[in-house]
Amino acid sequence: MNWFKQLFSRRRLYDDLSEEIHEHLEEKIEELVASGMPRKEAAAAARREFGNVTLAEEDSREVWRWPLIENFLMDLRFGLRMLSKNLGFTAVAVLTLALGIGANTAIFGVVNAVLLRPLPFKQPSRLMMLFEGIPKLGFPKMGFSAPDFAVFERAQKSFESVGVYQNKYFNLSGDREPDRLMAARISSSVFPMLGAEPMLGRRFTIGEDAPGQNVVILSYGLWQHRFGADPGIIGRNLELNRQPYTVIGVMPKAFDFPLRGPQGSEPAELWVPMAFTATELEGWGTNYMNGVLARLRPGLAFQHASAEAESLSRSIGSNYPPELTKAFQGAELKVSMNSYHEEVVKSVRTLLLILMAAVVLVLLIACANVATLLVSRAASRQKEVALRTTLGATRVRLLRQMLTESLLLALIGGSLGFAFASWVKTLLLSLVPESVPLPRDIPISGSVIVFVLAASFLTTVLFGLVPAFQVSAMALYGPLQEGGRSGTPGRLRHRLQGFFVTVEFALALVLLIGSGLLIRSFAKLLETNPGFRPDHVLTLNIPIPSERYTQATKVRQFYEQLLDRAGNIAGVKAVGLTSDLPLNGCGTIAIQIEGGRNTGGETPQAICQTWQVGNYFQTLGIPLLKGRSFTLEDRIDTQPVAIVSEMAGRQFWPGQDPIGKRIRWGVYTPWQTIVGIAGDVNDEPLGQPVRLHVYRPYLQMADLFFEDSRFGEVRSMNLAALSQTDPASLTSAVIGQIHSLDPDLAVAHIRTMTQVISSSVAGPRFNTLLLGVFAGVALFLAAIGIYGVMAYAIAQQTHEIGIRLALGAQPRNVLQLVLRRGVRLAGVGAAFGVAAALALTRLMAGLLYDVSATDPVTFSCVVILLLAIALLACYVPARRAMRVDPMVALRYE
Amino acid sequence: MKKPEQRDLFPGALEMMILRTLKRQPLHGYALVQHIKRTSNDLLQIEEGSLYPALQRLLKEELVKAEWAVSSTNRRVRIYRLTAAGAKHLQRQVSSFERMLEGITRVLTPGES
Repeated sequence: MNWFKQLFSRRRLYDDLSEEIHEHLEEKIEELVASGMPRKEAAAAARREFGNVTLAEEDSREVWRWPLIENFLMDLRFGLRMLSKNLGFTAVAVLTLALGIGANTAIFGVVNAVLLRPLPFKQPSRLMMLFEGIPKLGFPKMGFSAPDFAVFERAQKSFESVGVYQNKYFNLSGDREPDRLMAARISSSVFPMLGAEPMLGRRFTIGEDAPGQNVVILSYGLWQHRFGADPGIIGRNLELNRQPYTVIGVMPKAFDFPLRGPQGSEPAELWVPMAFTATELEGWGTNYMNGVLARLRPGLAFQHASAEAESLSRSIGSNYPPELTKAFQGAELKVSMNSYHEEVVKSVRTLLLILMAAVVLVLLIACANVATLLVSRAASRQKEVALRTTLGATRVRLLRQMLTESLLLALIGGSLGFAFASWVKTLLLSLVPESVPLPRDIPISGSVIVFVLAASFLTTVLFGLVPAFQVSAMALYGPLQEGGRSGTPGRLRHRLQGFFVTVEFALALVLLIGSGLLIRSFAKLLETNPGFRPDHVLTLNIPIPSERYTQATKVRQFYEQLLDRAGNIAGVKAVGLTSDLPLNGCGTIAIQIEGGRNTGGETPQAICQTWQVGNYFQTLGIPLLKGRSFTLEDRIDTQPVAIVSEMAGRQFWPGQDPIGKRIRWGVYTPWQTIVGIAGDVNDEPLGQPVRLHVYRPYLQMADLFFEDSRFGEVRSMNLAALSQTDPASLTSAVIGQIHSLDPDLAVAHIRTMTQVISSSVAGPRFNTLLLGVFAGVALFLAAIGIYGVMAYAIAQQTHEIGIRLALGAQPRNVLQLVLRRGVRLAGVGAAFGVAAALALTRLMAGLLYDVSATDPVTFSCVVILLLAIALLACYVPARRAMRVDPMVALRYE
Repeated sequence: MKKPEQRDLFPGALEMMILRTLKRQPLHGYALVQHIKRTSNDLLQIEEGSLYPALQRLLKEELVKAEWAVSSTNRRVRIYRLTAAGAKHLQRQVSSFERMLEGITRVLTPGES
């Protein structure tokens, strides 16, 4: 008989079977009656001889079925019925699991996309990134300078191709208002190396590596929203930085380059040829700003290529002009290599792994919580289990049924969690600050779905197995045995619940300590004095296109006029311009000190240099400790001057007065006389060490810097204005003044100085927030867990409490009794948690600022907090216990 | 809890006995179990109920077939009858059982070799 026919004839088969068995019994009874037995006795005897009628019938039917699947379906149906009958329990369990699985799925999605997935390029494991470095000057890793890259490209043998890229802003103007776009200059070798093909048009050719060919490739996004996905875009002309460029290609939607991360790279919206200019190629010892990618030759080992790259350091150095080599003596160049993937992920790896660990802990807590719920519920199902056992259910069968119910819970929780995860992920990614290199769009991939399923099954095992064993163990205590409140199963249950609660508290404590450390570290970060006064300062960035303002005098004139006009806006107290704002990094140069130890060719000094004009120090409240600040009289034709930071003065001229001393930048600029000492300011984001700093008057910048595209920053000054009131209210007036000078100028980065601070700590804030949220969830779940267990225990002990009260115990004693158990559970959990935290928090040392990973203050605060929450969670059921009426409790028996 | 027929007999023994009995003559369930009990002199403790799952297995494998009839005592009964495949199966089972029994007997009988 084939299975299809079976499926339809089954009903008849079963009917035949029932009738047959019925007839069998009847025949037997007849026979016994005929032999003289009373009918009633005969019926009993017949049944005795026959055995378990239901079981025989069920076993017979099973012959016709696929028992594994059909039993499973039956359990599923039954499970659904049980869950829908007990909605409160189901809701709590499902939501708890959804929370745990959802959080895990969201974070796993990010971890998978960022850490686990290979880079979206051809043979990504063979892609390397190369760096130059001058370790002696405090620069272990920089990009390549243009001439160094040219030397490297010619000399190297380990790579089948090398490419170079650099992020650069472009103003895209034309019929619509100008857009400031992040672009990248790339060499023609980059796209072939990555295996990237345009979806429209072509890639750059080798011929386009020579300067003077204005061609551009657009990203899919830009093509979509700026050009309405025009299929005839190829060959059209665009105006970039007021120069005509021809569109030669459009990249596909999924293509992203440069990847966020290494050396502050950012994805570009359009690409132009790198085409180093002759001046760039002569810029020895300057502008180590180019990212270098290379593809390993097939079969060549990483170590081999790495060794070759390092050995090339010397030949690069030997090409430097002799006067530079002399000045840089003792500060050799080093070339190093690392895999591109590693460079892209390394800054987020610790954070992501910590987050993953955090959500796994949350899931474990969720499981422990559901397990305690199941254990409590198992008690109320004792009768049901006993009945099933009597009817012939085996222990394995019971176990399977219990696990099916758990699986059902986990799957419902999992699918809810999946929905929840995509929401969490969107929220998470919208919160990711600019400074954290995470992709902005993470699709849900197959591996994420597999992860959800795996997580659901794993949780089933975790939370379902122990209660299921416990239930099936009940079967051993004899069918229909009375006494659910006392006896061994009760004690086992008690102990199991205690165990789960302890585990929950230990896990929650680990998370709380991790997040506590981050919070303390963040607070310390905010307390650091950045060296300036951020209140009431508006800042904005005004880049001046070199194509319109070709001559240095024109640029100087523009900024001078702007300074004058902005200073006259009502409500502005002071105004200044600077090439770099604090906390945003700064251009680093190597200087020589006149008469110093190093002017004779010894190691030069690395220092931050910013250019400024106007009342910059006053605007930002940076104290001038000695000497004078710059004036508008410090011009190109007057004596070159400089102001150094306090720390720089102390380091360069220990025990001497820096005023009147002279320094120079590199070996080509004239000597500059120090005229003032300013307070130290954080040039890098808060939490990073303060650096040495030299300020120069902008009006003294030599003309050649304006004519040389390498010094883009001198054409991109930041205006800072100190206002009497809310600084943001100045915005439109300031922009109005800019546009009165040149209506076509784009203005960027309009922020108050408070916002600058806030975005400089955006990374740490993000970490703190995320871990804080997960710790909060963990604490909440643990509190619910202990509450549930205590409430249940008290409900079970009503009888005992009644007797105690009847025998003269005070309600206070009862309260103590309950609280003591709660605190004991939480306390044991906390002890294990502290031990685990001591072992684990050191992994996050890299994320902490000025706080040790075993900070005793954090540890003790968190333990106290946790115990307090536990007490609170026990207090509510304990109050109920106190109010037990002895009479009611006793009558209950 | 184990199934009764596994407690008392080796797997397949009940089926073999059913087939052997049906080879003699077609019978309905009650008569079948009575016959087995009687022939074994009540040495085999068989729960009568356990007959039915075994019969269903044989039906499924088409070693027996069943049809409803009316018995001599005017009772609706389901008569089981051996099929050709059933007869062949029985033969194979019996010979393999005899070989096994012979082996066991030799081991259990002391001395000789």
